[in-house]
Amino acid sequence: MVELMVNGTRVSVETDAGKPLLWVLREDLDLLGPKYGCGVAQCGACRVLIDGESTPSCVTPIDSVAGASVVTVEGLVQADGTLSLVQQAWIDEQVPQCGFCQPGFIIAATALLEATPQPTDAQIDEAITNICRCGTYPRIRRAIHRAATMLAER
Amino acid sequence: MPRFLSRRGFLITGAALGGTALIAAVGGVGYLATVDVDGLDGFVDGDRAVLNAFLTIQGDGRVVIQVPRTEMGQGIHTGLAMVVAEELDLPFDDRISVAFPTEPLPAYANWFNVLQQRPEEASGPAVWVGRRVLGLLGFIATGASASTMALWHPMRVAGAAARQMLLAAGSARLGVPAAQLTTADGFVRHEASGRSLFYGELAREAALLPPPDDPVLKPAADWRLIGKSQRRVDLPAKVRGEQVFGMDVVLPDMLHASIRHAPVFGARVSRIANEAEVRAQPGVKDVAVIDGRQVAVVADSWWQAEQAASLLDIAWTQTEAAGVTSAEMSARLKTALGSAEPYENINEGDVEAAIAGSTSPMIDATYEVPFLTHACMEPMNATVLVRQDGSVEAWVPSQSPLGVRTGIGRGTGWAGLEPTSITCNITMNGGAFGRRSDLDVTAQAAFLAARHRGRPVKVIWSREEDIGRGLYRSHAAARLRAALGPDGLPVAYDALVAAQSIIHSVAGRNLPFNPGPDGDSLSVEGLDKLHYTIPNRRVRSQNVPSHMPIGFWRSNGFSFNTFFTESFVDECALAAGADPLAYRRTLLRDSPRHLAVLNRAAELAGWGSPMAQGRGRGIAVEECYRSVIAQVAEVTVAEDGEITVDRVFGAIDVGMVINPDAVIAQMEGGIIFGVTTALMSAITLDGGTVTESNFHDFPVQRMANAPAVEVAIVDSGLPPGGAGEPGIVPVAAAIANAIHAATGRRIRALPLAVTETVGERRTRTVLRSAAT
Ligand code: FES
Ligand code: FES
Repeated sequence: MVELMVNGTRVSVETDAGKPLLWVLREDLDLLGPKYGCGVAQCGACRVLIDGESTPSCVTPIDSVAGASVVTVEGLVQADGTLSLVQQAWIDEQVPQCGFCQPGFIIAATALLEATPQPTDAQIDEAITNICRCGTYPRIRRAIHRAATMLAER
Repeated sequence: MPRFLSRRGFLITGAALGGTALIAAVGGVGYLATVDVDGLDGFVDGDRAVLNAFLTIQGDGRVVIQVPRTEMGQGIHTGLAMVVAEELDLPFDDRISVAFPTEPLPAYANWFNVLQQRPEEASGPAVWVGRRVLGLLGFIATGASASTMALWHPMRVAGAAARQMLLAAGSARLGVPAAQLTTADGFVRHEASGRSLFYGELAREAALLPPPDDPVLKPAADWRLIGKSQRRVDLPAKVRGEQVFGMDVVLPDMLHASIRHAPVFGARVSRIANEAEVRAQPGVKDVAVIDGRQVAVVADSWWQAEQAASLLDIAWTQTEAAGVTSAEMSARLKTALGSAEPYENINEGDVEAAIAGSTSPMIDATYEVPFLTHACMEPMNATVLVRQDGSVEAWVPSQSPLGVRTGIGRGTGWAGLEPTSITCNITMNGGAFGRRSDLDVTAQAAFLAARHRGRPVKVIWSREEDIGRGLYRSHAAARLRAALGPDGLPVAYDALVAAQSIIHSVAGRNLPFNPGPDGDSLSVEGLDKLHYTIPNRRVRSQNVPSHMPIGFWRSNGFSFNTFFTESFVDECALAAGADPLAYRRTLLRDSPRHLAVLNRAAELAGWGSPMAQGRGRGIAVEECYRSVIAQVAEVTVAEDGEITVDRVFGAIDVGMVINPDAVIAQMEGGIIFGVTTALMSAITLDGGTVTESNFHDFPVQRMANAPAVEVAIVDSGLPPGGAGEPGIVPVAAAIANAIHAATGRRIRALPLAVTETVGERRTRTVLRSAAT
């Protein structure tokens, strides 16, 4: 039995201690926002915030996050349904194509802006290592800059 | 008979079913001078007013637009919904949603792809018959960048017809002639009395009215949506993490399966050495051999299924292909290029005589590309439920419901079951690129579901199965020859491609008939260069079979041939001592449309402006999917050979544009996809087996060294062309040409570089040794 916070709610899961957080979220907690894209920490589609840090959940055993606070892409939306600043920037720049990779990018960008509110292109390159097979990188870059501007104006 | 068949369509279809289609067609040529649009009749179902095959209005005024094409990122659901909303005078906001219809109506058939006639222009008995047959077959497929071309006109007509039905209903309700009514913002208005009626109020009455015979289309000058960028309808769910992709389908009592395929394609399961051990793993419900060729582990969760599958100890049969390596494939292709009698696809003039008669040295170059795979971000999956009564329902991220149906037939057939009915739910696709037109995963899920009747079974392939055991783009090579005249321009152009026939491989797996391996039209796409003025021209092809399953792959033959031909044009320009842009301009002297696009790309890139040492610029142009595209790549090659594509400029003429921002997004994404192909990825064979297995050894472009992209749309005023595939087509040649400009080195094989890992999830690309 592992207890943790997921999107602000305390949950306890009864499962194989070695089961990756990604599959616990998807199969035991019905949170389908984090995606399976590679299973080996290569693509970032499964990224979630663990105590604020963007982490590939596909290689994170559930027992290693006992007591931690996990936020998935669904958890970025405010209680009244308002999109987070990063999500709004994603809409404003019309970033997604197929969209399968985007939850992971949105999480990675959220963590980046938390640590570095006004990132340079080089800092974006450093922080964002996810894969988008549809090739939305130019728009992701624009959306991160847009979110940074929105953040500064807030 | 589906409810939607138009009354008119029903009569004609009845005739076709009676076997008298030809007589009816010949007798009806005059009447059929212009092909009409199917599916314009409506019906009412509860508070849903289904106005026609493409449009439903609910009592609360919410509008559902039925788009029978797969959304896989290209934005087609938005573009086609815009067309309907335009004619209907509907605001394009969140009251509109899009659904992929589950009924395979004739109106949804993709006859454009087969008959290659635009619905707005198509006429004649052959079209009439073809359309009926493909309609009855439920030939619905998304591919060949054709969705806008196939449906923009029929959906426009559907929107216009529905508007007229709403006006007629309004006229009856208000007791005034329809001519005094207007529509705007989802209302029918009577200006004189100031009265107005909401579409939601009128829809049920309107749906039961006969559709107009000849719906009046809104003149282009009045368009408020078409041609103006609109926000994608699918993006809010996608940024919230709420979008349900195939992999996210959750059903009560669902079972999950993971699959292991033979390491060498064609091998069969000989035995499972440890079946009992695998069956004893937590959650495991079943271990099944599928079609003698794959092993599935079925469990309560996919994690359990995959864990247990990773323990499988499977002995496979030996096959002849077990020794094949990429080097051997390469040798086979080169041998084929020397073949005495290749298939002749095009032969204009007399190439050999022109070459023999030319006094300048012949330009003769051989090029090659490796196998590739699609690596869609969403791994392959399918969910199928076989109920106790034999009815089947499927949820699949697929490019074709017909493919899903066929896959279900095959999979249930393996289990000895005949479905009593089939319902296909096409989910959102996490990328497709041609991969999801195959029926392989659906057949597996259907087989397993037939073994576990009453419980849905979701099959997910691991990324390793997807990359190493899936479907591939052909390994291909070409020999191109040209003789130049005294002015340096080609007097003869001769192209010979050696590749495994795409159509033959796809048909062999999926269709009841097979056109044969020779003369594959997809393998020669991009070789003819008809837009270049050349007096003698020949295009030939040689099928080179292998054990590898070849699938459709984004832009098919163009993905390799345009690299070959547009590199070769540069080689000709160089031999003639000409600037590559100026040389192409001369070659395009009879193709003003292409010339305009080429010039626009060159202008965007500032062609001709000086570049620093180690930097270079390359250009390439192609016509594909009835669009014309040109790109300029700028690269920097460092001392140690590291290559960076700094910027790519693209110009595209896709004819009439519905949603400009979606076209630009496809160009941006296509360019990034093309850079991956040009510099990074390859599927290699060793011992008959694919050696790559995941993104660590099948590298794709990431953010850090992705080029900046700038795109311009050139407006030719022509009817719409395709936008999903052209973006990737010229990239590799533009980059290879830029490398030549930067370094003087001509690299004739893809990938142009070797990808090295630098730190975690970070790569750099270094040019292959000069020997290539
Ligand atoms: S699924 Fe976790 S990084 Fe790819
Ligand atoms: S939007 Fe399709 S993989 Fe990124």
